[in-house]
Amino acid sequence: MSLAGDRGTDAGAGGRLRAVGRRVGSAQLPAEPFRLGALAGVLALTGAYVSVLYGVVAVVGGRGALLALVAVSLLSATVFARAIAPRTATALAAAVAAVGFAHYLASAGTGVGAAVATADELLADSVALAMGLPVLRMIDAGTWALGFAPAPAFLSWYLAVRRRYALSVLPAGGALFFLVLTGDAGIPITLAGVGGAVGAVGLGELERREGTVGQLDALTVLFSVALVLSMTVTLVPAGAASPTFLVEGDEGSLESTLDTAPERSGITGSVDLSPEVRFTVTSEERSYWRTGVYDRFTGDEWIRTGDDRPYEGGIEPPPGEYDRVAQTVRMAGGAGVMPAAAQPIAVEGEATENTLVTSHGGITPEEPMIENDTYNVESAVVDPSGGALREAGTEYPEDVERRHLQTPESLSTEFEAYTAEVTADAENPYETAEAIERYLRTSKSYSLEVDRPSGNVAEEFLLEMDEGYCVYFATTMVQMLRAEDVPARYAVGYTSGQEVDDGEYVVRGLDAHAWVEVYFPGHGWVEFEPTPGDRDDVHAERLEEARDDGQEDVDVAGSEEVPIEEGSEPENETDEELTETEPPAEETPLENETGEAGEIDPEEEIAPGPNGAPTEGVEEGLADRLTAEAAILALAIVVGAVAGARHGGVVDRAGRARTLRWQRSTGEPARDVERAYRRLELLLETDVRGRARSESVRAYLSSPAVESVGDDRIDRLGALYERAIHGDGVEPAEAVEAIELVDELVAERTRIVGRLRR
Amino acid sequence: MTDADATTATTVGTPEPLPIDDAADVCADVTANVGRVIVGNGETVEHVVTTILARGHVLLEDVPGVGKTMLARSIARSIDCEFSRVQFTPDLLPSDVTGVNVFNRKSREFEFQPGPVFGNVVLADEINRAPPKSQAAMLEAMEEGQVTVDGESRPLPEPFAVIATQNAVEPERTYELPFAEVDRFTKKLELGYPEPEEESEVLARTVGHHPIERLEAVTDLETIVRARETVAAVTVNEPVREYATRLSNYTREHARIGASPRGTIALLRAAAARATLDGREYVVPDDVRREAPVVLAHRVRTDDHRHGGADVVADALDHVPVE
Repeated sequence: MSLAGDRGTDAGAGGRLRAVGRRVGSAQLPAEPFRLGALAGVLALTGAYVSVLYGVVAVVGGRGALLALVAVSLLSATVFARAIAPRTATALAAAVAAVGFAHYLASAGTGVGAAVATADELLADSVALAMGLPVLRMIDAGTWALGFAPAPAFLSWYLAVRRRYALSVLPAGGALFFLVLTGDAGIPITLAGVGGAVGAVGLGELERREGTVGQLDALTVLFSVALVLSMTVTLVPAGAASPTFLVEGDEGSLESTLDTAPERSGITGSVDLSPEVRFTVTSEERSYWRTGVYDRFTGDEWIRTGDDRPYEGGIEPPPGEYDRVAQTVRMAGGAGVMPAAAQPIAVEGEATENTLVTSHGGITPEEPMIENDTYNVESAVVDPSGGALREAGTEYPEDVERRHLQTPESLSTEFEAYTAEVTADAENPYETAEAIERYLRTSKSYSLEVDRPSGNVAEEFLLEMDEGYCVYFATTMVQMLRAEDVPARYAVGYTSGQEVDDGEYVVRGLDAHAWVEVYFPGHGWVEFEPTPGDRDDVHAERLEEARDDGQEDVDVAGSEEVPIEEGSEPENETDEELTETEPPAEETPLENETGEAGEIDPEEEIAPGPNGAPTEGVEEGLADRLTAEAAILALAIVVGAVAGARHGGVVDRAGRARTLRWQRSTGEPARDVERAYRRLELLLETDVRGRARSESVRAYLSSPAVESVGDDRIDRLGALYERAIHGDGVEPAEAVEAIELVDELVAERTRIVGRLRR
Repeated sequence: MTDADATTATTVGTPEPLPIDDAADVCADVTANVGRVIVGNGETVEHVVTTILARGHVLLEDVPGVGKTMLARSIARSIDCEFSRVQFTPDLLPSDVTGVNVFNRKSREFEFQPGPVFGNVVLADEINRAPPKSQAAMLEAMEEGQVTVDGESRPLPEPFAVIATQNAVEPERTYELPFAEVDRFTKKLELGYPEPEEESEVLARTVGHHPIERLEAVTDLETIVRARETVAAVTVNEPVREYATRLSNYTREHARIGASPRGTIALLRAAAARATLDGREYVVPDDVRREAPVVLAHRVRTDDHRHGGADVVADALDHVPVE
């Protein structure tokens, strides 16, 4: 870096060398470390935003490309720094950015021409991103990241090499700021970036002004302030780093894990089951009540890409045959989701106003549902036979393939090999799905008590873990299917619940569930259930427990007497082997038979938490991070305070105050007198004025300012000091006298403390 | 080095030092006595007196007619001692200063005829008008406390103090003293023109009989010698020595030629004399500060006419920290 930096100045190599020569000659060496520090700061800032983008491409692919692009940018910036003028460089960076953006538009299926034509929409998209839409929610997040990365890195490094540190912070800082706004840059990354920026500007200034290391304490104060500010001021209410939960008061429950935010679904360790009733469904058909579907897996959470759109009378039904099932859902509490059987095709009643359609065809409320909200929803339930699915082929629509074959780029070959082994006998996608489902149901057991693995959850679960719950099973199955090139996605919601009356289901928090949907050409998305049947026992036990505890809200009228039998089988279990839990009735298309229930179901998430933010809401993870952040925060405050105190002279002053008031005889008269005199000087420094370094004691004490105090004791002390230092010394008695004189003076002249002492 | 060395003194054995207060009184008496003749310039008179007590020599530089010679004569007369005067001219020979061996026809031997340098207080008037060779004769006497004539060294009397004057005008008609020789003067002083009221006082005194004719000695040689011993016994502690060294160092770092170690020694001796004047048995930094401008300035050379040696010394006093 330093070599690169040295080469790249306006003056060119020759001038630079001469400059260095001069500098060394005149012993102005300190500038060089400052320059290195400033360059390191710019690199840290660049690294911060690039690392966020790296996180994106690690999920969707393109890590190598990203690193290569950034490396090329830095390299060319180094070269260009001495070759082209700043204006040219800026133009070049703009061109690079434009090319990247055009590439993104092209690959997103939008022509560049169309983009120009719909500039206002582009602007709206950008604003949406800046308002907290995570980059990963973009369908073409990878392309976007690759297009976004090079220009700021190039421009920043170019300017830094040319010693324009303050300016150089702007491009990379702007990029990081944007990513903070999207919520992708977490606190540690942001801190690193801010630290780099402050360091670059501050150290750059020190270099430019040939500052001294002593001025670093001022810089340290700046650092701390920046750190503390960036940790305490939350720019984005829904920032990526503040997990909240969609179900009120239920942190750590399975539900809250499933629905961490409108567009994300987290994965955690151990979870609780809430026995509270969430909603009731009137439906002729037993079904899973789906609340959300996710397509992008980052390794530790699920993200739904694409934007929601308002419901405008009807959702496209599946391509093949389906049964219509009408449901009426009544919420038992606030929730940010609209549960409904998959695949909802129509919503009726007042709820339509409040309904959004996700990019996967799910429904979600625009404003959270409240207690007793009721809606009617009609769903198209796909239930083809196994035979039909076997022959469905692999002619997937392009859009399905593009979004539902993603695996994190870091997925190991071991995972793929293992999956291939599991599905060795499968001859078509359906058999693949069957094999995986059977494998998971039989080889792993169900437990809510698990430690959240670090790294790729699917991989860890398949290769390392013996037990888990629905989230683990479903996640792993989706990833295995994708590894086998079968489009699949992750669905969350509730199992059918307790059937308290004919066609009436009570759904509780503990019914929260996650399962798998696999795409079959000509049929659409078909549900699969990789979670073993002992889930039902666990969940039923939990309800009994709650009842025994006398907990309220766990029952609706009449539900207590009805035996709990939940079907955790999705309806499509049609044909075969999946033993354990019998899926109750297959979907009997309920059409709109329940007349009154004109409305349709809710989908995903339950009530958004106070500020509806997302991500890996793991309770112990949260605790860990909070303490780590608190520690950093505390450290920053302490460091800043110390540096500020040093800068402001507080430490000196404290030491001075102590010296002023406290003196013990050392047994050496001369030393005692000298120290007594120092105390006098400290006292006079506060009261009158300090002694200049080149001012003799005699001149100081006889200066008009000190003379104006008019105290003989001061003259006496001066005389004793002079004799002690320059003359033949003083007697012990005189030393005692000197100390007493100063004690008196201090007591008299520092009033408050003086009074206390007396 | 700079100054006449006590070991070469004619007096054998170390004389008893005067009590410090008596020494201070001697200084005060001489200064007051000279003040009867010299109007104003009390500071300068003090400097000359302390130089004598510090075993040094002094160079008075100024335009003609401001009383340089009168000052020297007044001091000499205030002390009951041998006073001699050498008027330096372009044709002055070294032997005119040191004395010559003269053949005595009666005894048929060479007899030494001491020159004017053999005095206790020697006024070397307009020293820069003589050629270097004659200057050197005087300067050797100052340095060595002895003169060498025809290969024979003859010690000078004790005390021996030179008060030299030089004109600051007519530089083209003078032989500027070499830098190395200027260094041998403990102090270089300037009198300056008197203030108007002082000048009027001068006129009042000198019209009619010149007061110097009536000036009487207020002390004697023995007292001066003993006072010199007092000065030599003054305590100079480490902090003061260090301060003097730092001042010299500062001039070395901030001028083309800084004060020599001889200058530092002279500074401390002058400071000791200053302390004696004050009736104090130890030197304080203020003594050093008081003496530094006159002791160091002529030993410092700069390339910048607008920022001469005196300015560098003033800077040193402003910047060098003091205990």
